[in-house]
Amino acid sequence: MVGWSGRRKTLLILLFTGPTLLGLLVFNVYPNILNTYTSFTNSNKFHPYPDCTLTLNSIMVPNCWPVFKNQPIGLGQPFKITEPLFQNYITVLGKVFTVPGLLSILTIALCLVPLMGVYWIDRRLDKGLERSAPSWVLWLVGILVSLLLLVFLGVTAWNNLISSGDFMAVVARTVLFVILRVPISFAVGLILALIVTSPGLPGKALWRVILFIPWAASSVAILTSLVWQFFFREQGTVNQLLNLAFGLKGPIWLNDPIYAFAIIILVDVWYSYPFFMVTILGALASISDDVYEAAELDGATYMQQLTSITLPLIRVAILPAIVLTSITAFQMFGTVWAITQGGPTAGAGVPGGTEFVMVYAYKQIFQVQNYNTATAFATIIFIFLFSATMYSLRFSQITKGATA
Amino acid sequence: MIRKPSRPARILQYVILILMSILALYPIYFAILASGRPGQSLYTINIAGMFAPIQWTWENYRTMLLQSDFLIWVKNSLIVAAATTALSMVVVTSAAFAFSRFKFRFREFGLILMLGLQAYPGLLSLSAITLILTAFGLYGKHLGLILAYTTGTLVFSTLNLKGYFDTIPIDLEEAAMIDGCGPVQSFLLIALPLARPALAITALLGFLGGWSDYVLASALVPAPSNMKLAVPALYGLTTSLSTPWGQFAAGFVIVVIPTIILFLYLQRYLEAGLTLGGVKG
Repeated sequence: MVGWSGRRKTLLILLFTGPTLLGLLVFNVYPNILNTYTSFTNSNKFHPYPDCTLTLNSIMVPNCWPVFKNQPIGLGQPFKITEPLFQNYITVLGKVFTVPGLLSILTIALCLVPLMGVYWIDRRLDKGLERSAPSWVLWLVGILVSLLLLVFLGVTAWNNLISSGDFMAVVARTVLFVILRVPISFAVGLILALIVTSPGLPGKALWRVILFIPWAASSVAILTSLVWQFFFREQGTVNQLLNLAFGLKGPIWLNDPIYAFAIIILVDVWYSYPFFMVTILGALASISDDVYEAAELDGATYMQQLTSITLPLIRVAILPAIVLTSITAFQMFGTVWAITQGGPTAGAGVPGGTEFVMVYAYKQIFQVQNYNTATAFATIIFIFLFSATMYSLRFSQITKGATA
Repeated sequence: MIRKPSRPARILQYVILILMSILALYPIYFAILASGRPGQSLYTINIAGMFAPIQWTWENYRTMLLQSDFLIWVKNSLIVAAATTALSMVVVTSAAFAFSRFKFRFREFGLILMLGLQAYPGLLSLSAITLILTAFGLYGKHLGLILAYTTGTLVFSTLNLKGYFDTIPIDLEEAAMIDGCGPVQSFLLIALPLARPALAITALLGFLGGWSDYVLASALVPAPSNMKLAVPALYGLTTSLSTPWGQFAAGFVIVVIPTIILFLYLQRYLEAGLTLGGVKG
């Protein structure tokens, strides 16, 4: 933008961005640095306070700053930097990098090879003029082969992975959660968006408002999830309905790891489908009616219009939404905390059936007080999330300027 | 699509819509039912009570409003949320405007840095934030919470608003500049009024940052009762052994339903602001 230049411009930019930078520095940058530093120390409930005679400690940790010098010191030993330096990381990663751990990861990856093959073949066929096999047949075959492989090889590999230490158990479950939750929310959102925009449907505005409610409720997820949790109690709505309709005595849903997992997915889909619905509605609105009219004249069926017009055209708008929700789903906390608190437990000291990344880290810090390994865990997760965020920039223009 | 769906397809559409609407409304409706149920249990043995108000009492509301700290919690929450909204509006709009309109050396780096920072699991910086706030003497005070919430909403709101500013043609401001308008004036008089949908989102996100948070508030202001915020205090009600579910439900209705209405009121802004600004790019 034309305008001032030189010193005045610099001052103006500082004035505009200064408060943001300061806030980020104090509440984001410094805490992250301190956490990363903590991950190289042996700080835990037995070593609760820093050894201020160490130079690094006295710079990094507020308890060593002059303002705090006279703070009363509790029981326990002071903490210092670990020997060897990466001890906490070695503890956290545990048996991941042993032969059985890597082997089970490899086996599970192998089960997904058919899907990648189908994707590749599909792309190849798309380039030709005539397709020798329709897309859905290919995908059906691919998914079936993958499922068969998963049933025969994947289950044992999965169990090995889960039992190979906290880190893999927690991360694998969270990844599984994201893989199941995001496509389901997307599908629900897509179906609802298509129905709500279908021509001649009365009361469109009303449906949109009603279907939007879960998003509104998701802002106070921690309270709304408590109501959901109640539906699945022993005497909850679901079991009472089962009893009334079929005379069945339902299980205690949340005491079973698989049911609990499914319930978390259900509730989180409930919270998140409106986001997809709204995003897809926005994308649908940008498609001109002419395209469909032309397709209609050529005799395209509804499904053909959907797969060769609607989906490809909304893809550009939907991809960033999918990446973003995957990242937020990975960090989901409130829903699990209110419904299961990470349970049902699999025994003392072992993460529970729905103990996802954030819940695990929260428990490690606030209940077990293993600051050292929890921060090492957080740092590893950060590297992962950082890569995912940087990858998501591919779909976004956000770092470009208006004038670019 | 142009063609109207066939009759069976339309019936299927209705079935899906009605089922999903019931699912969308039932948890909220259930909480309303529970808030008027005598006794402190969430369920009735009579299944009709799960779906219809067969008994109704205002007792839970009376207890919550008159005999507990509930109104103080709501007041605390409102103050914190309003202050967070005001502060984040000022901070976010100016930063977003600068990132969108000025060319400077570290602009792209700054934006990427913000995105990267956001990737650090925020919940885990909590112990560090506690230490810092203690250093400033703000631990257990509402001001500390307000500062933490404002920075919590910074990254997303700034990026979203910056994306929205990008869609506003710069010509208008350039025309104003030729007429003698400085950058600050063109920001206040031209860009801000045009960015209203995205500003509504920024305000909503700021408000929700303070109003609906659980983790920060429960860790930074754990006690005394008259300092607590509504959401963590209500959640705290349910962790005791004999949970007063009826009172919880009454509090839930008072806290959550206005939130939902606020969302629905801002829905069109949310649709316009989010899809245009952040996500679509």
